[in-house]
Amino acid sequence: MAEPPSKDPAAAWRDLVAQWEKNLNELANRTMGSDEFSKAINQAMGLSAGMQSSLSEAMGRYLASLNLPSRAEMAGIGERLHAIEERLDRVLTLLQSPADAAKPGGAAATSKPPRTKRPPDRGEKP
Amino acid sequence: MTATGGADLLESRIRAEVERAIQRNIKGLEYFGSPAPVLGSTPKDLLCKRGTLNLYHYRPVADELYRVPLLMVMATTNRGYIFDLAPGQSLVEFLLKQGYDVYLIDWSPPRPDEKRLRLEDYTLDFLPDCVRRVQEDAGEEEVTILGYCMGGVLSVIYAALHPQGPMKNLVCFTTPIDWRHMGLFTKWAHRDFFDVDRLVDALGNVPSEFIFTSFELLRPATRSAGQLKLWENMWNDEFVKSHRMFERWSTDTLPLPGEYFRQIIKELMWRNALFGNELTLGGRRADLGNIRAPVLHAVAEHDHIVPYDAAKPLVERAGSTDKQELVFKGGHVSVVAGGNAVKRLWPRLDAWLGERSI
Repeated sequence: MAEPPSKDPAAAWRDLVAQWEKNLNELANRTMGSDEFSKAINQAMGLSAGMQSSLSEAMGRYLASLNLPSRAEMAGIGERLHAIEERLDRVLTLLQSPADAAKPGGAAATSKPPRTKRPPDRGEKP
Repeated sequence: MTATGGADLLESRIRAEVERAIQRNIKGLEYFGSPAPVLGSTPKDLLCKRGTLNLYHYRPVADELYRVPLLMVMATTNRGYIFDLAPGQSLVEFLLKQGYDVYLIDWSPPRPDEKRLRLEDYTLDFLPDCVRRVQEDAGEEEVTILGYCMGGVLSVIYAALHPQGPMKNLVCFTTPIDWRHMGLFTKWAHRDFFDVDRLVDALGNVPSEFIFTSFELLRPATRSAGQLKLWENMWNDEFVKSHRMFERWSTDTLPLPGEYFRQIIKELMWRNALFGNELTLGGRRADLGNIRAPVLHAVAEHDHIVPYDAAKPLVERAGSTDKQELVFKGGHVSVVAGGNAVKRLWPRLDAWLGERSI
């Protein structure tokens, strides 16, 4: 026997939204799964990336004419600063390690619970 | 049903709907004025930061820990707080309470100079370095690795390249192996249409907007439907809280290093080299048959990002004798986080891992 239609308007609304979502996703997936869509979206993306690249080059030339650093040059400075930071971190780690090791029990054993836990008996191995 | 009973039922329904409509309006106003939910709040310490890489250690809460520490590897496309959404909905919190010593590799947006990072950097440098740091911090030789999505791919490659250990167990969530079955991604990134060199050469790092849009296009109606569902459930505080957490996480995508992205497209997508055991990194071949540690792979039945057929070969091809695949109802995210994950995946993960963490 067929299900009687629900009298709950909220349930009917939920069903409607779910059905709309499902149908639209399926339709979009069919459309976007075509070679034509892949070709078009990649052409658009390539165009956008190309424009971004050309704009960036033009901006670089303009900034150079104003005697200002470009984004790439600033990124280069940032890169060198990060490299210095990382070296400092490594030096700091090396300096801290002997101090930690000198503590009773060493660095690894500082105030951690014991590693003795066993799994609860579940009757059988999962 | 009598006529009076029917009228009573209708009346109570109307009353409930009117009440909800009032609550929707009140809470709808609160929604726009309230701050975003706090995510990833379980206490943790940063053990190491190397550019895009962050290694965290969560502070243990149990009186007794399992011997083997657990290193979680987040997908490179998204933030790691999906593992730690909120108290009661946090996989990390759950694992800590069960007695695991939990570490997490989470990713920051790569810097411009990190556009040169390659799969080799992730699997032959970052992961081994983090494993070594976990070994030192935990004082244990063996480490369990758990990877989610692309984090799972990196973990699988690491495992295949380091068969001598020290990995004790390999746990993967929704990890693609056979990239022929990656649905629309396979179509869009087809070598006949997609000029990955042009994109990477022009942009350096692949922008987060590109990653976000790629995910969104897989289900273009879902975000709008989500807004309608939010309005309908505005009276329900738990629903609203959960919606906001997932909404924030799903829009918080990360850029990808250009060279790494180029390799993913050419090696994994076009050559399907991981599935074919032909992926060679640093002069070493990542053969899935090399994986000897126990393997657990949790996959989702309705995963629209990593379809089941793409994930299935991991357990089939791993060389381990102790290996298991768990197929759950749900999608790519709901299998890992949210109400269903709390009931389904988490207890099964604990049962499997506990036995193998002593």
